[in-house]
Amino acid sequence: MPPSTRIPPLLQPYVHVARDDSFLILTSTVGASANWLLLRFLCDTLSNTARQGGGGGEGEGEEERNVVLVSWMREYDFWKQEARKGVGLDLERLRREGRLAFVHGLGTGLDASVQQSHATDDRPARSAQTPHHYTLHTLELAHVQDTISAAVAALAATSSAASTPPRKTLLILDNPDLLLALNPTITPASFTSLVLGLHTLPTMAHVLMHMQADNPLLSLSTPAQPLELAHHNLIVKYAHMSTRILGVRVLDTGVARDVSGVIRITEHKAQGIRLRLDREAHVEGGESGNGKEFLYQVKGDGSVRVFERGAGGEG
Amino acid sequence: MAFRKRNIALSRAHPAVENNPSTPSAAPPPGVRPSPIDGRPTTSTGTPSLDSILAGHAGLALGTSILVEESGTTDYAGALLRFYAAEGVVQGHKVHVVGIGQVWGRELPGMSEDRKDDDGGRRERMKIAWRYEGMGRFEGARGACLTVATSQGDSTTAEEAAVFCHTFDLAKRLSLPVGTAINYVPISRPSGASASPFPSILQNIQRQLASTPSHTIHRIVIPSLLSPALYPPSSAHPTSVLQFLHALRALLRQNPGRLTAMLTLPLSLYPRTSGLVRWMEILCDGVFELSPFPHSHMQALAQSAGTTKEEERPQGMFAVHKLPVFHEKGGGGGGGVELLGEDMAFTLSRRRFVVAKFSLPPLEGDTEAQEEAVREAAAGASAMPKKADLEF
Repeated sequence: MPPSTRIPPLLQPYVHVARDDSFLILTSTVGASANWLLLRFLCDTLSNTARQGGGGGEGEGEEERNVVLVSWMREYDFWKQEARKGVGLDLERLRREGRLAFVHGLGTGLDASVQQSHATDDRPARSAQTPHHYTLHTLELAHVQDTISAAVAALAATSSAASTPPRKTLLILDNPDLLLALNPTITPASFTSLVLGLHTLPTMAHVLMHMQADNPLLSLSTPAQPLELAHHNLIVKYAHMSTRILGVRVLDTGVARDVSGVIRITEHKAQGIRLRLDREAHVEGGESGNGKEFLYQVKGDGSVRVFERGAGGEG
Repeated sequence: MAFRKRNIALSRAHPAVENNPSTPSAAPPPGVRPSPIDGRPTTSTGTPSLDSILAGHAGLALGTSILVEESGTTDYAGALLRFYAAEGVVQGHKVHVVGIGQVWGRELPGMSEDRKDDDGGRRERMKIAWRYEGMGRFEGARGACLTVATSQGDSTTAEEAAVFCHTFDLAKRLSLPVGTAINYVPISRPSGASASPFPSILQNIQRQLASTPSHTIHRIVIPSLLSPALYPPSSAHPTSVLQFLHALRALLRQNPGRLTAMLTLPLSLYPRTSGLVRWMEILCDGVFELSPFPHSHMQALAQSAGTTKEEERPQGMFAVHKLPVFHEKGGGGGGGVELLGEDMAFTLSRRRFVVAKFSLPPLEGDTEAQEEAVREAAAGASAMPKKADLEF
């Protein structure tokens, strides 16, 4: 199935990661999760038909990319099911083909507190048995870095056998902010250096991060809690570093049946770093700058409709 | 079309409808049924109207958790927990109660023996016959299959055969079956300053999960999380409680077919505007907030409303911040979200906890509006679609 039917046309240019290596951010709030958006990135990057005329435009002769998905919040089964239902991707097959690696970070807390007491039903499968499936066991940064590097390297090794220039890798971090919340010894600065270090890996292309941007986490309470400070610092830092910010939030006017939420897209132009205060505008919700806002609706079958404000009636 | 919800209980099955033609093929464990939306197994929260607002799944999906927040000093959320635990006990599920002693377990509400409403219930069943009888929707073998009256009109729970959700009576006491259906998980008071009580809780539950056969359904009940009355002060540190919730989430996801959890959180101590609570909400699958009305306000409502009957008087607002499965997928789609955008209020009476659309009572003397409100309340309370909304 062509990705165009899976990715709404309005969204297509924004989920396409064609250009130079950069950072991207997705932000979620409690009532509006960006999981569906992350799946669109997966779809655009991993589906083969995306390469010719996928709508991105500027990428003729563009090479395929690998994806390393690191999820601290959601299990592999969730991504597998949603990818199949929502965007028609078979993650299992892609993983076997060496296009995708999954790093399981959800069990970290359980492992840390309960020392591997037993392996339940489907979990005995560890990285040894299933290729490109890794499990994080601690919340330590060094461990995270080693695991992700290993995943990236393994993917690159698989792909280099097939094609002469190894495929570049899109690294997706799902809720890395949780890492900071769970382990206070990780500062935003040390986490940033981790991500920058990963970004300089030779086969790394983009780093896409999915973070929470709820108001209580961004607008500090008084007195500001260390948890909120760390989160605030982290997300503002990445908002400045990123070339593209896709923020998802609930409708300001309340819940509607035919609208799931609002997506706001802000892009940095590639040349230079221009400090602009409206980079966090996805939080403030203003209409300034080059931000674009659309409404979206996730349907029961996993498909998504994205439309301009006021254009909800048609298709 | 005026459904009066308090009559729905029909505790004795009518002999004529005993031979229910539809029995699930795979025979799920007691108290579990597939979601009408995507077929994932769900179990009842013990509160029919809460089941009905869970995004059309008509139950709490296994492998997910619900966080109920409550502000003030009341314990409405505790009633929800009791129904949840009692439902688990009645269904033969293994219930883990964290941090509260056996007294709590002994005070679980008993099953309601609702004889006096029998006639009314049957009459009502006749009323809804035109809508449901053809779909094979009958009362279950014992107790009342409340889903008949409370599930959304579009949900396709027609295959419902066994009792999914029982009626409980808060004035009665549940006699616990022998063999201790409830596992009381104590909160250890670790001696070290930085030690957290949570790892031992998780270990306890994990042991229980490991020691029971894989078809046993487990429920985790965590009343008043972080309340200083139960938890040592160090547990309120973000690191320890968030690690616990993260691990709990992992545990739920590792046991997607046999584990659910319900937690309550005192909002007066941990306001929603703090980053800590927000992270807790993010880590839980469903988030509801109860805001009880102050007492005086409740009285004012009672006086001005000739329309609201004694037990239909709302006792507080019920806010839905997040629904399991539904919001994880991005929010939107599916059925049963009709109430999502509405202001909702809850009413706790002796027998049930009702979440219904909230509407202010009309002014005194406005008889036309009052009659309208009676119809609204009756229809809204039983969560039935209005006549105009029904398709034929």
